[in-house]
Amino acid sequence: MEFESIDDVMKRLEKAGYIASREIATVVFLAAAGNKPILVEGPAGSGKTELARALSTCMNRKKIRLQCYEGLDEAKALYEWEYAKQLLYTQMIKEKINDLISEADTIADAVERIADQEDAFFSERFLLARPLLQAISADDPTVLLIDEIDKADPEFEAFLLELLSEFQVSIPELGIRKAKHIPMVVLTSNNYRDMSDALKRRCIHLYIDYPEPALEAKIIRMKLPGIEQRLADKMIVVINRIRELDLKKRPCISETIDWAHALAVLRIDEITREAMSDTINVICKYRSDADMVKASMDRILH
Amino acid sequence: MMHLLLKFAAICRSGDLRVSTSEVIDAVTHLQWVDFSDETGFKAALKANFAKSRREQGNFDRLYHLFFHEMQTSTALDPDGEQTVEQRQIITQLQENEMLTDPIDSALIDFLKGDPAAFLQEIYNLENREEYSSPALKSNLGQLSARLAVMLRINALKGAIGEANTGGRSGDSQSAERLLGRLDRAYKMLTEDNRPNNDALKKVRSNETHFRDIGERSFAALSPAEIVQMQEIIKKLVRKLRDRMGRRYAAGSRRYLDVKKTLRHSGRFQGIPIEIKYRQRPLKKTKIIALCDVSGSVWSAARFMLNMLYSMQDCFSAVHSFAFISGATDITEIFEKYEADKAVEKVLSSRKIEFGALTDYGEVFQQFRRHHMHLVNKRTTVIIVGDGRSNYHNPREEILADIREKSRRIIWLNPEPEDFWHTGDSEINTYKAYCHEIRPCRNLNQLVDFVEDLVL
Repeated sequence: MEFESIDDVMKRLEKAGYIASREIATVVFLAAAGNKPILVEGPAGSGKTELARALSTCMNRKKIRLQCYEGLDEAKALYEWEYAKQLLYTQMIKEKINDLISEADTIADAVERIADQEDAFFSERFLLARPLLQAISADDPTVLLIDEIDKADPEFEAFLLELLSEFQVSIPELGIRKAKHIPMVVLTSNNYRDMSDALKRRCIHLYIDYPEPALEAKIIRMKLPGIEQRLADKMIVVINRIRELDLKKRPCISETIDWAHALAVLRIDEITREAMSDTINVICKYRSDADMVKASMDRILH
Repeated sequence: MMHLLLKFAAICRSGDLRVSTSEVIDAVTHLQWVDFSDETGFKAALKANFAKSRREQGNFDRLYHLFFHEMQTSTALDPDGEQTVEQRQIITQLQENEMLTDPIDSALIDFLKGDPAAFLQEIYNLENREEYSSPALKSNLGQLSARLAVMLRINALKGAIGEANTGGRSGDSQSAERLLGRLDRAYKMLTEDNRPNNDALKKVRSNETHFRDIGERSFAALSPAEIVQMQEIIKKLVRKLRDRMGRRYAAGSRRYLDVKKTLRHSGRFQGIPIEIKYRQRPLKKTKIIALCDVSGSVWSAARFMLNMLYSMQDCFSAVHSFAFISGATDITEIFEKYEADKAVEKVLSSRKIEFGALTDYGEVFQQFRRHHMHLVNKRTTVIIVGDGRSNYHNPREEILADIREKSRRIIWLNPEPEDFWHTGDSEINTYKAYCHEIRPCRNLNQLVDFVEDLVL
């Protein structure tokens, strides 16, 4: 088994720079033990992709990432034949082919002779492996991150099913490829649309929410070891109050970390009205949101 | 343990969570690896297997709490456990009571014993019952009266427990009280709302100003000249949307080798394929289904919304438009036949739409499901325009949930000012839980924002 216990998961993830709640650690542990893909949901910026990165670091595996988007198809995700290369080779060895069929008596015979050589053209050499095939055929176990699966089309989701349950893919010309090592698969979703039941059945589910204040403070102290305890605590209080506002985009951990960085660079160690309005653009990504925070500054700071 | 888990899975199923056998098997395997004394781990393992989306988590938490905390699962674990002899005695006495013959009673008695599955199923059936009311005499009393019947059974059972208690020895009042408490819980479950967690809902309040004056005024306050100006703007907008879609596909269309074409072109170079030709990917067809409220309460906005729908249908090939008040009327054909102004007039004076009737969203959804559900698939974006004021009729939100499952996205445009959304007979709060996106849309600026943000 990859991890010894849930505590082991927490410890190793922390070493890799990711502080996980007990719930996250449990799900990761179960997924690793049972070779199941994890489907991670949560608000943008809550550390879904980061989890995959930390996993690859702490398991000492290569991370292979597939970014999903609308119109993504097998050719981009799994494999593609390199047509140009195939044609080029055909041209270069034309003479050789002529030799091969010059002795043939009939056309049928010639076709037969060429057919014997078919394997040469549909072989690994002309196969362009895309992330999914790379993950499956890698010599060492990998972490496969399928990012923002909700952005891909439903057809692509259906196409993933074979991979996720059997850890194999079928390539018509080459046959079925089974995974050498079962990769640790992490799928992330921003909930743009609902996933199909079939996909959900094959994964175990994890929801990463905004972290508890104590956990968030811990994360900030890890990312910025020099930060003062008092400032960090105050920051968390302020951020959580901002999250309560009705914003277009609520600040996530990544924004909190960015904000902490900004405060450190500007050498601000007291969160005042002025400091807030100087750094508000780090926290809010929309102007209307920034205006709203500015308007309710009194409530946020006290 | 196995027994307990199967029981819990059964409860999840009757509580409207989809738990398949393979998920139960996974859960059993996973539970071998977690420490039972640590509840976080135990719960996380079950949650990861039984609730596979954020929407289901609220429901899962509720059922988990009910089963593992409130029910204490004493009988499920071992029959001689926590439940006292007296409690069981009372229950046996209840079962022998001839008055309790209703099917609901047996569900309630199971509930008392610590098995809520049958009762949850009963509640589920209540919430999802089909109602065929005659259009002349509408009411939403069917569901209410069915609920009332269950409440009456709960009260009857309470009375029976009291009787059994005084009839028996007087020392076991504590166990009777515990059973009564459990019935109170059943009563509460019957009345509480159980809507999915929808924090992924995109709620847009646009404040951007695209047009001054004309853009900021509400649809109701526009002069005839401005209305014409506005129609022009809408038309341009939708055309822009179509162009944007076209570009998106053009960018990704150099994919597969077109062998035929490549060979044909190679003829010019003595059979050497110098130019490689790729197959054009067919453009993806987007489907839109639009439902537009044309009742009195949204009268002024309806005209513009119909105008927008008209332009959409003009630009995209697969748009189906419906107008509704108390029943869904297909207006696609009217839009195809006539030009914009006339089409809108035709719709607003169509005899198929009952303009005198009260708006009834539940009925609209039901008619839509019965006659037009086949139009909805994973490519379909459903746009609903309306204020959600349903005159206190049964909202039938489960149909909207059904549509959500089959479609790609549901977007709700509400022409009412946001401050009024949750007042009076507005059901927008109920429907909100099943939409992907909800936005106020009462002036041109907001409409422009909507069309510009629209990803189909």
